Amino acid sequence: MTAGRFMGQAIARSEDPRLLTGRGRFIADVVVPGASDAAFLRSEVARGRITGLDVEAARSAPGVRAVYTAADLNPLVHQTSLSGMPDAPFPPKYCLAQDDVRYVGDPIAIVIAENRYLAEDAVELIELDIDVQDPVIDVDAARDGKGDLVHPEIGTNTPQVIPLFGDPDLEQAFADAADVVRDTIVMHRYVQVPMECRGIIADWDPYGEALTVWSATQSVHEVQAFLAGLLGINSNKIRVLQPDVGGGFGQKMMIGRDEWAVVLAATVFGRPVRWIEDRRENLTAASHARDERMDLAMALNGDGTVVAIRGEMIENIGAYQTMGSSGMGAFVAPFLTNAYKIPKVGFASEAVYTNTCGKAPYRGPFLIYAVGIEQLMDTAARQIGMDPLELRRRNVIRAEDLPYTLPSLQCFDAITPAETLEQAASMIDYDGFRDKQAAARDQGRYLGIGISLCVEPSAIAVGALGTEAAVVRMDYSGKVTVLLGSSSTGMSVVTTMRQVVAEHLGCAPDDVTVIQGDTAATPYSAGTGGSRSAVLCGNAVAQATIELRSKLTEIAADALEAAVEDLEVDDGRVFVRGTATKGMTFAELGQLAYVGHDLLGPGTTPGLEATHRYKAPPFTFSNACHICTGEVDVDTGLVRILRYVVSEDCGRMINPKVVEGQIFGGVVQGLGGVLYEHMVYDDDGNPLTSTFVDYLLPTAAEVPTIEVGHVESPGPNPLGVKGMGEGGAIASPAAVVNAVADALAPLGVTVSGSPLGPKQILDMIAAADGHFESTSS
Amino acid sequence: MPKAAPVKPAPFDYHCPGDLAEAIALLQQHGDEAKVLAGGQSLIPLLSLRLSRFDHLVDLRAIEELRGVTTDDGSIRVGAMTTQANLARSEDAAAVPLLAKATSHIGHYQIRNRGTLGGSLAHADPAAEYPAVALALDASFEIVGPSGARRIPAADFFISTWVTAIEPDEVLAAAHFPIWSGNCGWAVAEVARRAGDFAMCGAVCGIQLDGQRVSRTALALFGVASAPVRAHAAESVVTGATVDDLDLPDIGAAVAATLDPPGDVHASGDQRGRMAKTLVPQVLAAAIDEARHA
Amino acid sequence: MREIALTVTVNGDRLSRTVEARRTLADFLRDDLSLTGTHLGCEHGVCGACTVLLDGDAVRSCLMFAVQADGAEVTTIEGLSERNGELTPIQAAFQAEHGLQCGFCTPGFVVSAHAFLEEHPNPSDEEIRDALSGNLCRCTGYQGIIAAVKRAAENGRSS
Repeated sequence: MTAGRFMGQAIARSEDPRLLTGRGRFIADVVVPGASDAAFLRSEVARGRITGLDVEAARSAPGVRAVYTAADLNPLVHQTSLSGMPDAPFPPKYCLAQDDVRYVGDPIAIVIAENRYLAEDAVELIELDIDVQDPVIDVDAARDGKGDLVHPEIGTNTPQVIPLFGDPDLEQAFADAADVVRDTIVMHRYVQVPMECRGIIADWDPYGEALTVWSATQSVHEVQAFLAGLLGINSNKIRVLQPDVGGGFGQKMMIGRDEWAVVLAATVFGRPVRWIEDRRENLTAASHARDERMDLAMALNGDGTVVAIRGEMIENIGAYQTMGSSGMGAFVAPFLTNAYKIPKVGFASEAVYTNTCGKAPYRGPFLIYAVGIEQLMDTAARQIGMDPLELRRRNVIRAEDLPYTLPSLQCFDAITPAETLEQAASMIDYDGFRDKQAAARDQGRYLGIGISLCVEPSAIAVGALGTEAAVVRMDYSGKVTVLLGSSSTGMSVVTTMRQVVAEHLGCAPDDVTVIQGDTAATPYSAGTGGSRSAVLCGNAVAQATIELRSKLTEIAADALEAAVEDLEVDDGRVFVRGTATKGMTFAELGQLAYVGHDLLGPGTTPGLEATHRYKAPPFTFSNACHICTGEVDVDTGLVRILRYVVSEDCGRMINPKVVEGQIFGGVVQGLGGVLYEHMVYDDDGNPLTSTFVDYLLPTAAEVPTIEVGHVESPGPNPLGVKGMGEGGAIASPAAVVNAVADALAPLGVTVSGSPLGPKQILDMIAAADGHFESTSS
Repeated sequence: MPKAAPVKPAPFDYHCPGDLAEAIALLQQHGDEAKVLAGGQSLIPLLSLRLSRFDHLVDLRAIEELRGVTTDDGSIRVGAMTTQANLARSEDAAAVPLLAKATSHIGHYQIRNRGTLGGSLAHADPAAEYPAVALALDASFEIVGPSGARRIPAADFFISTWVTAIEPDEVLAAAHFPIWSGNCGWAVAEVARRAGDFAMCGAVCGIQLDGQRVSRTALALFGVASAPVRAHAAESVVTGATVDDLDLPDIGAAVAATLDPPGDVHASGDQRGRMAKTLVPQVLAAAIDEARHA
Repeated sequence: MREIALTVTVNGDRLSRTVEARRTLADFLRDDLSLTGTHLGCEHGVCGACTVLLDGDAVRSCLMFAVQADGAEVTTIEGLSERNGELTPIQAAFQAEHGLQCGFCTPGFVVSAHAFLEEHPNPSDEEIRDALSGNLCRCTGYQGIIAAVKRAAENGRSS
């Protein structure tokens, strides 16, 4: 599909100049007159009963204006369910920890003071007595009921269980198979880590009983809906505003119990309350991610075709999740076969509570569907003596297989995994690398290559996520404003939607202003995440723009005394096709629509505004292939990524640079997760990696140059777009793991997942069959 | 994690004395409640996270005599408040090349613009580079207290993790590093998770060649114990030997065998030992190579 | 003394204030002077979002107390920017190379890049990566940022 004048162009972002010059207004920059700063007293133990809590010394500390505990705030809670999930087995419906604490970081009291320095001073003065109890840290102990209950009120540590289900002939298929490959794929615990921590400002008007909230959120409307339930007030008495937000990656889709406490405190306090999270809190007490494992098995024919796959997954969801019980099993099950033609599937999963920080979604929260099978593919290839690229070629879904209906009855209509596999293999010169690898092994160096294919179920559009609306309005001066329900946190929604309008209307992107992130001004949206903006916002904006254009030409037809079919719209003018002069500018048409409407024809309504709420299919499938090469230093355990290529198909691109930027970010998060980032708890449930000194993010010095190739198969929607914001993060972990596994295979090392820091790699090398001696020169 | 999870420091009284005598008087007056503030790159995070706290901070930044590098009869004298960045740029300090080489491994340039040589030495982090350089080169330190100045060798200075021979009422004023003559080569190598991270294991080395024979060796390791470790035995093996006769892997193994490094989330003690085994030959080879081309 | 008198030049303006000794330079700039372009990403000296220039040198403002800047010249992202709607060459390079997405780490990178390129106008790719390793970004995967600094260096040489 050729690029349009604006669609498909790498237009510079209109978001940039403000941000580049320090004029961004993030939550910590928002000034609300009279606001006080909050700090939290948090639990230092993972599990225990609160036997004493005395805040008097804190209350009378310098600069302190109020201190609230569960006794003050919890009775104010009406309900804490999420829209659309009223009965989800969500942990007890309270705000601050009341009788006991359930993870290190559990918020117990909130101190409200003149500034954060004084608030932190006061927190230290609070007297807290906790009867420490043995925490439930280990997933297996928790689920087998040997440990105590994390949430006694719920009565189980496994709130979400999907018993094994699937093809009735699954066992037979495994029994009959020429080869069976099994492994336990492990993804360790790591964290979203947006560069900006969370933050919220709550301003309660006791006279109007109205609430104004500034929230560093990915969804202003969901925050509004949630707070309406929390406070038991009408949603239309709540206004939620999103300032500039420094990344979210899923952590900021929903607000946490500490943020609820800020809002509840504001209603009691009667003056605005501001809380800016700090990095220690963000790393240990906000939300965590991943921390799951899957027993995965594949049955293969003698020629390497995979006939069956069975996955049994355990997810450690911590104590308090921000999206119900956040079990991802329901999203993993349908896509277990990923990009391959595998006719028989079996799946089971359990989500397990532990006394650790609870989970929130993180870029591709169900990614183990791809990580598991991609790692197992390589393991299978080694087991049966076939190259991993060849094994994938034998099983990948090809153009001639489309439309392809999965065992889960999901249907792939327009995907190109086979094409991306070949493009990526060509980009990295796969065969050439195998030669280099062999030569390096002769010199005692260990290079490896890892492939990872993924079909991404993007733009998940079920329930509240199923639609998105845009209001596209041209004013009396001919300028366009779009009201969009999105709450972008770096996804370039503003720039890309300006491109969509410009393309479908016939004006310049600079003539378009996009308003988002304000519940008072914009239509309902479930938020910006889940790779949904291109598909949902894009099509809503496109359709509304087309309707506006239609109105515009209708008015112009009246004014120009021409037929609508004879009119063109371009460069901010509507004109009769083939003439240079018979036309009107948008400004002139705006005047007509709002002021000179007496001159409009009998059937033509005044004004120039259109609204469209677009409903997307439940999933829009995009796909990509990542291939990564790396070298493992077997003396230090350090891994250096040599090259990283991505061949991706996200359908029609609105802005190629934005697409690549999303891929780059996702890949580095995946790479970072495998090689550097590790959220570690000790046996007592204390987080050991609580600052950036120990929780390591990759820097510019560690990342490779990421090369991107594009394949384009249009998405099944009018714009032809697909979502791709998470694909980079979904495919990357397995590519890196596979490269390390490939490098270390000659040493008899088997790699079943992550983390792969130097410690883990050196441990694996030491433990491998065939005792290995370092041969440093 | 402490119950307040703070990132803002606790209150303190701030003092900015104009000379060393005043600084020492303040330390004497306030004893354990006082702490010297140099570049702050190690101290301030500890204060912000409230892992340490002091009622009094004595900022040395106004004491001019603590700054600057001078050459003085076969060694250089580096004022304790000389920033790491300025040390790397100093022409006088170029006579001790190991200092500039070590400096490039320290954190990032934003840190080096504030961090000081003296601060790094006095902080005595087991994974820091400068202490190992000082130990390897037999540096000596000028420490000034109420009863005047004393000089102590590096070998007596680093006691344990964050513990040195500086008394609570004393200030490290300067460090003296001997200048080597002849055909010399220098090397620093470390194993770190990322560029600029604390080393899991590191080594610094100096080699002086007389033709093909090693006439002088300096070798020290960091990150492998609670203080930097001087590899005396290895130095004895290397010094006097002909370069081509050296079995570097053997020497590395011997050094590693003497170590009992601590473990943490990044590497176990054993693994640190193995890293030492490869780093020692690496720095010896690099220093020898540089000396050969000198 | 808990409260200290301080005279400091910030973005060319000479100011006198009395501040609490423990107040970090970052908080002083952001809250006392309303220069909110300097961001707090960690407050323990790792992420670099708080980078400012102190007497021309890039430093982490969360690792300084405001009182340590007495008598010094501080330049923040606001001081490195034009006020007329024009981007500086480094800023323009960041925009051209899509070197930012959420923008939170961006001022720290721009200030760091400014200081780096002043001292190293002709850097190699490896030197650029090393120089940028003191600033963390979560959105861009650093690709656009590295390209931006490279482009700014090349543009600087050709002008």
